Amino acid sequence: MKLVPVIVAIALVVFFLSSFSYPRLMTLPYDSAGRSLNSPYTEHEPQVAGDYLVFISDRNGSQDVYLYDLVSRKLLDLPGLNSVDSVASHPGVSVDGRYLVFAASHGGDVDIYRYDRQVRRLQNLTASLDAEVRNPTISGDGNKIAFESNANGQWDIVLYDRSDF
Amino acid sequence: MRLITLPTLTKEAIGRFGHRVQGWLVIGFSLLLVVAISYFSCFAVRAEPIALAALSLNSVGLINPQGLNSTYTDERPVLSGSGRFLAFISGRDGRRRLMLYDLQSEQLVDLPWLNRRDAIAEHPSISNNARYIVYVASDSGRPEVELYDRVTQLVQVLTGAYRGWFRNPSISPDGRYIAFESGREGQWDIQMIDRGSNIELDILDQRS
Repeated sequence: MKLVPVIVAIALVVFFLSSFSYPRLMTLPYDSAGRSLNSPYTEHEPQVAGDYLVFISDRNGSQDVYLYDLVSRKLLDLPGLNSVDSVASHPGVSVDGRYLVFAASHGGDVDIYRYDRQVRRLQNLTASLDAEVRNPTISGDGNKIAFESNANGQWDIVLYDRSDF
Repeated sequence: MRLITLPTLTKEAIGRFGHRVQGWLVIGFSLLLVVAISYFSCFAVRAEPIALAALSLNSVGLINPQGLNSTYTDERPVLSGSGRFLAFISGRDGRRRLMLYDLQSEQLVDLPWLNRRDAIAEHPSISNNARYIVYVASDSGRPEVELYDRVTQLVQVLTGAYRGWFRNPSISPDGRYIAFESGREGQWDIQMIDRGSNIELDILDQRS
């Protein structure tokens, strides 16, 4: 019976130390008006690269891409990226935050898009591809983009190397 | 009558059985068998991929690396920060496995102890040089975000201490942060785990 307080003390110390140890959950900002990372609406498909976190949210009524700066802790503007008639999914961002890649559906037709934040240009990478595409991913330097295509009757992986352009 | 005779019968049977075969030997051999099976299943994971299906896509800059695609489903591609590695989920050989492909040497990379016969790994994400691989697996009945270290070949469960349902993990290129979807607020929100400053970061090699 003398051991009980000792065990309780050890358990308390372990609990105290573990609350400061890694890995631990970070506190991410929440804003009920949707001006920050998390909102009362759905946030999903996060992808983190460098100081940037790109994700999908339906906070403005349609499924759009959002870019969050983890250092300055605020959302960044993406002019010309999201449109009312498109449903975006599976975004990715390069480490410097310049290039974004995502899949977007316009009236049921899904294409892979790349967005250049520096020149604010949206480019359709799969306009000439006669197949369904999904799940794009981008490398850290933004030069390589891979996605799935069903051109051969099953899902295969297609790779674009933009440094060849 | 039956209630009395049944226990005596089983007792006798156990006694005779134990006398002849010796129970501890049976246990020892079955343990050996389990170890051997798990050891050889590790080699089965390293089986060579089926020849690639030719892609008939003619686009500028499109690459079709040798051995990447199979005649089965190959999906959820994810590029490493360096752009050299590509992790994906493949259904080849009748099993759903997480695979890592080296685009430079054009071959699959071994991932010992990652793919197990009793669990499915989904939603991979990899760091700069694919040292760290995060994915969702359900070893213990609920989906957990797990981290595989290609150097130590160890798996670490990151979300074991937290309540909720976790999806779509994404690791930062240096390997320190992991963002994922969490359903613990009653809807899908984004949460991040910090692995701390004491880990070995997966630094990009500047020379290449």
